[in-house]
This record gives sequence, C-alpha cells and structure tokens, in this order.
Amino acid sequence: MTKPTMNTPSTDSQRTNQPPHHQAYDESLWWGLFSAGGVCFAVLLPSAILFFAVLLPLGWLPADALSHERASRLLFSVPGFLFVGAAVCLPLFHAAHRLRHGMFDLILGRDTTNKKLMYGAAALLSLLALGLVVAGMFR
Amino acid sequence: MSAQQVSTRRISVKRYLPDNSTEPYWQEYELPVDDSTSLLDALNHIKEQLDSTLSYRWSCRMAICGSCGVMVNGVPKLGCKTFLRDFDDEIRIEPLAHFPVQRDLVVDMEIFLDHLAAVKPYLIDDNPVKPFDPKAPETYRQSPRQLARYKQFANCINCGLCYSACPQFGLNPEFIGPGAIALGHRYNLDSRDHGSTQRMAELNRHEGVWSCTFVGFCSKVCPKHVDPAAAINQSKVASAKHTLIALFKG
Repeated sequence: MTKPTMNTPSTDSQRTNQPPHHQAYDESLWWGLFSAGGVCFAVLLPSAILFFAVLLPLGWLPADALSHERASRLLFSVPGFLFVGAAVCLPLFHAAHRLRHGMFDLILGRDTTNKKLMYGAAALLSLLALGLVVAGMFR
Repeated sequence: MSAQQVSTRRISVKRYLPDNSTEPYWQEYELPVDDSTSLLDALNHIKEQLDSTLSYRWSCRMAICGSCGVMVNGVPKLGCKTFLRDFDDEIRIEPLAHFPVQRDLVVDMEIFLDHLAAVKPYLIDDNPVKPFDPKAPETYRQSPRQLARYKQFANCINCGLCYSACPQFGLNPEFIGPGAIALGHRYNLDSRDHGSTQRMAELNRHEGVWSCTFVGFCSKVCPKHVDPAAAINQSKVASAKHTLIALFKG
C-alpha cells in the first residue's frame, strides 16, 4: 500500500491486497441475532430455569401446572413457537457468534469456514426446534 | 530534583538495536527517583546521564502530543502520564505492542496512520461555507448540544495506545482499529459534516467495525478517556442501519 497523506485520502486503487471497500452486509445480521440472543438468554433463561428446574421439582407449583397435556398445549401453540424462537433459536445464534469469534481469537481454522459451520449449525438446530413445534401444532 | 526524598529505582528496558543485533534484549538501569518522577523523566535521565544509545519518542511532557507511548509491565501507557511511585515491584518497559519495532522503544506507526486516513477524519461538506463569500451570512453554527454529541471522541491524540491494547488489531493489522474508528465516528456525529456515507464504505467492512469483539481494553488504556469501544459499538448500530436501508433501496 502506498502512503496516503491526511489531505489525500486513500482511494480504492491504493488498497490492492483486497477487494476495495468490500461491504460486510451479512455482519449486521449476525450481530443483530447475537444481540437479540444475548438479551433473550439473559431475560428468559433465568426465569425458565427458576420455573422448570427449581419451583417445579420443589413442588411449589400446582401438581398439574406442567402436566403432559397442559405442557403440550402450551408448547404447541403460537406463543410456544415464539417462546422456542426466543429461548432456543436466538441464544443459539448468540453462542454461534461467540464460538466463531473465539475460534478466530485462538487462530483455529479459517473465519469464512467457521462462519458457515457455526451459523449453519445454529440455523439447522433452530429449524429443528421450530419444526418440532410446528409438527406438534399439526398433530 | 526537588527536596523530596530521593531513592534509587531499577527499571528494565527492552532494547533493540538492529545495527548490532537482530535480537532484542533486556537492559537494566538504576536511577535516582522521587515522588514526582515520571517514566518519561526516567527515560530522559537514562538518555542524558547513563546511556545515550537509548532511543524513544517524546515531545510535550503533558499528554497532548501522544508520542511517548510504551508498554509498562505489559500495559500500554504514556510515559509522561505514568509515575514510578505507582509501581511497587519491577518496572519493565517495552515498545508499543502490535507495531513493528524500529529501534528500542520507537515503533513504526505507519499502519495506524493508513487506517486513520482511510476513515477521512476531517469535515466533509459538499457545499461548505466559504471563508470570503460575501453572500454567506455566517460561518458554521453549532449548539452546545450538537458539540456535546462528538466532543468526547474529539479528544483523541493519536497516541496509538488503544491499538496496542486491542487483541483484534494484534491478530489482524488490517482491522481499522479503535482510534481511527473513534475519529471517523467523531466526524459522523458532527452537525457540520456530511461525509458519513463515504466513511461507511470503510466502517461497514469485516476489517471495519465488525472486527471488534468489544473487549473494551482500548477504552481502559486511553489516556484521554475517549472510549473508542463505545464509538465502535455506536458505529456498529449505524452500520446495521445503513445495511437495512441499502437492503430496502436495493
């Protein structure tokens, strides 16, 4: 790269080692999913853990609060679909983003490959989770 | 030296003299210090009294010029703003991390200057107020509120400490980096400026704002409290908005 001075800003032709100004339009999406996943994880997961893993086993909730029939009805519905999206899918993308950047930090693999692997896995697992809910809705 | 109590301190400096050896080595110096001795004072004492072959940069002695950045026990600091009294144990001085070393504590800042120029850190106005235009009613006006939007980010002195603190710049020197993005953001927030679209071309790249993983050490080491990490993350929001708009406009 030739030396650009402050008064003659760098132009595309000076950056020969990479496509000039290659815009990273996909990164906004990954970052948005990462942010949303972080918020959903922080807000929803503690309450879900409190409900499913503490209050229910301790018997502090009515016995039929999560009977099979009631749980199925709650999960296989539009609110259940949204809950799975917020509590499973978005945090999956949050984790995928962290793993991808963690691998870059540890110099493991190539970022372009890691990106496809991580976000691809998050997308597949999300489809599986949401697909199960949808399948349950049309039983 | 003042009338304060003078004691003797030992500091280690990482030397690199490419004319003599291709390998850097550590050298210890013992020098008299008191409570007011800054690291820059210590380096000046070494240069003047002990070893004239030591090379380092400095100019203003008051955290304005941004020349005297070095690693102190592994943390980037300005020599003039660092006082030996704040260190109990050993003091190890190294050249700024992540930059090529030219000699002793002198590093090559070229890549930072390249990145800085790339974000166009100056007012861009297609229709500027001309200084001697009789029809121009007045020069630019700016309210205190408009000034407050960017003032913090305007305090950057281009010392490069944030680049030495940034692990992402260490992994990929093509990353535009904290200082340059903070300055680009400073002009994007300026009510007189209309260059944000031009700067977006640089910022909305993998090597732009998206290389940042919000470690935040840049903001911690900044001697002028610019908070580059905040600037980068605000720029991420702006880049995401830009992408959304580009998506709908086609």
